[in-house]
Amino acid sequence: MLERLVRWSRIKSPWILHLNTGACNACDIEILASLMPRFDLERFGILLKATPRHADVLICTGPVTRQAKDRIIRIYEQVPEPKFVVAVGTCSLSGGVYRGAPNIMGGVDQVLPVHAYIPGCPVRPDAVIDGVVKLLKSL
Amino acid sequence: MNDQDTVQKTSEILKDKAVEITNPAPRRIFVKIDRANLLEGLRLLKENLGFSHLSTITGLDRGDDFEMLYHLANEYVSLTVRTLAPRTDPEVPSVCEVIPGAVLYEREIQDMFGVVMKNIPDPRPLLLPDGWPADQHPLRKDWKFERPPEVIPGGG
Amino acid sequence: MMEDNQFKVAIGPQHPALKEPISLRMTFEGEIVKDVDFRLGYNHRGVEKLAEQRTFIQNVYLMERLCGICSHSHTTCYTQGVEKLMGIEPPKRGLYIRTLIAELERIHSHLLWLGVAGHEAGFDTFFMYTWRDREVVMDILEIVSGNRVHYAMNALGGVRRDIDDQQKAKILDSLDLLKKRTDYYFNIGSTEPTFVARIAGVGKLTRQMGIDLCATGPTLRASGVPRDVRKDDPYAVYGEIPFEVCTADTCDVLGRVVVRVKELIESYKIIEFLLKNLPPGDITVKAPRRVKEGEVVSRYEAPRGENIHFIKSNGTDKPERLKVRAPTLANYPATIEMLKNGFIADIPLVFAAIDPCICCAERMIQLVDVRSQETKMISMGDLRKMPIGRHPSAASQRDAAEIWKAAFQKNGNVIF
Repeated sequence: MLERLVRWSRIKSPWILHLNTGACNACDIEILASLMPRFDLERFGILLKATPRHADVLICTGPVTRQAKDRIIRIYEQVPEPKFVVAVGTCSLSGGVYRGAPNIMGGVDQVLPVHAYIPGCPVRPDAVIDGVVKLLKSL
Repeated sequence: MNDQDTVQKTSEILKDKAVEITNPAPRRIFVKIDRANLLEGLRLLKENLGFSHLSTITGLDRGDDFEMLYHLANEYVSLTVRTLAPRTDPEVPSVCEVIPGAVLYEREIQDMFGVVMKNIPDPRPLLLPDGWPADQHPLRKDWKFERPPEVIPGGG
Repeated sequence: MMEDNQFKVAIGPQHPALKEPISLRMTFEGEIVKDVDFRLGYNHRGVEKLAEQRTFIQNVYLMERLCGICSHSHTTCYTQGVEKLMGIEPPKRGLYIRTLIAELERIHSHLLWLGVAGHEAGFDTFFMYTWRDREVVMDILEIVSGNRVHYAMNALGGVRRDIDDQQKAKILDSLDLLKKRTDYYFNIGSTEPTFVARIAGVGKLTRQMGIDLCATGPTLRASGVPRDVRKDDPYAVYGEIPFEVCTADTCDVLGRVVVRVKELIESYKIIEFLLKNLPPGDITVKAPRRVKEGEVVSRYEAPRGENIHFIKSNGTDKPERLKVRAPTLANYPATIEMLKNGFIADIPLVFAAIDPCICCAERMIQLVDVRSQETKMISMGDLRKMPIGRHPSAASQRDAAEIWKAAFQKNGNVIF
């Protein structure tokens, strides 16, 4: 019974943590733009949080550079269960334009288990909203 | 002050230190200098012609030697000072005495090409990680890398 | 050397203040920053090495994705350089459209920065307002080019898309709206007392230090040095457009806000001039596939400062060497100077004032994993809340006393 209540509250308003693993910033600015008055993810109760301990959903952008790889794993371990990882943008799906560079791992799924993929270079804020809503529906 | 004036003044100021001065395009001047005269040459250019802004330092790997290009700018032209360092003795004096803002660019060249900057105030690597082996210099032409195969989650 | 009352703190690479990973290691004595060290390398993607393996045309696509906010800067700088190497000159109409997109990008970047500065100073409403107005600019860019970010308008030899009269009319309408909003922001920025008190006097960079440390862009212009690549080394059609270089004299974050708002107003004037005088004709010229041997230095005034590309070609269709130096890297030594002898709580604001675009600043190669050496982690969110309490029981009473004389102090209690 308590489990159902907790699950309902998680679906109703997940808190997100934004993680940039070495991206060009276009996807990051579009994620921020989706929280702004024009597209407004905040009306779903989704808040952008500062610390991993408060987050439910990790939104990752960027091809994972080798310098950032350790840090991402540490942050992932700090997020409390249950947690979901969303990979946003072509770079975090497969490395994007930088595929073939020696210092990138080639996509967030080489490092963390991913639950949702949102493609685009860069993603449109509409696509971010669509992806997040689909993730919530599947819970 | 247009290009011809700058070329003339540069050759007056640098006298015999400048090996060659060219003006291939509007507002672009290239000056070739020996590495022994590099510091003095930059100091003269800064004090007399106002070239105090260093845009960046480019390194080129030309096989037998490394070429360092120092891109300077004042309000009229963009002047590039080039100097060579042979591959067997890759050492160039650091210009941080004359231009304090050059330290980050020199650290980058040290990492990427392995050219040692003498008397640099801060010799730590800038961009390479802490565990990097000391003799791997990525931007050299003969540095190659083989990527390990990718893991596809869920099989495949 | 660490004395007894100094301690080191590491900030980053994941923190909410900056949307980019960068690690700062600071040494404090009480609440005063004594030394700052940047740890770069989290954003390195090996772009310079990748560019040597791709043809010139493919590199236009790669250069765009160096940075999301100033993507047109990198493509234009690159395309200009390669066109000089090839010896071709794009037609006038193409150059006008290129300049138009460049100014639109400057507007969107400055509005973005105003929002971020407001957020760092604690003024979230300003953040929401400026980003809402930024959407007007994004709509224009989408109508003209098809995408909100990464507008791929440049091709070797000109631009790829043309502007018709309907789009021109829409741009001029939106400019009216933006002008009214910018006047409103100017009033807020210069007269709102809490905002001004938060940002005045913070992050001082004297004129001589700015010149010695090779700073560029609005960071330098706020210290009174009128250097702007659009005036010093005109490219595209800037030689024909009448505009002024915007400077301020206060050498601090308030000056940087003023410079950027003035630049917004200049950009509106430039866009009106461009649209009124757009010449008819072709928009592009055919470019050869192989590029002659040669070297070229190409400079551009990005919203953050001077962007310089050095391209060397060896007669084939791939570049021999492509060197990119983005403006934020040039501003790092100046930032270290600005952070020293300031308070901890001012760190997010000073750092945001140079308009950091870390992704532009780092393009090199990394390979091996890093072992972390942090001693303590503080989140930027906590740092931003810290100015409220400046404890009388600070570790080093002797330095703090002089600082408190300048801070707000009444009846022996510190009030912020």
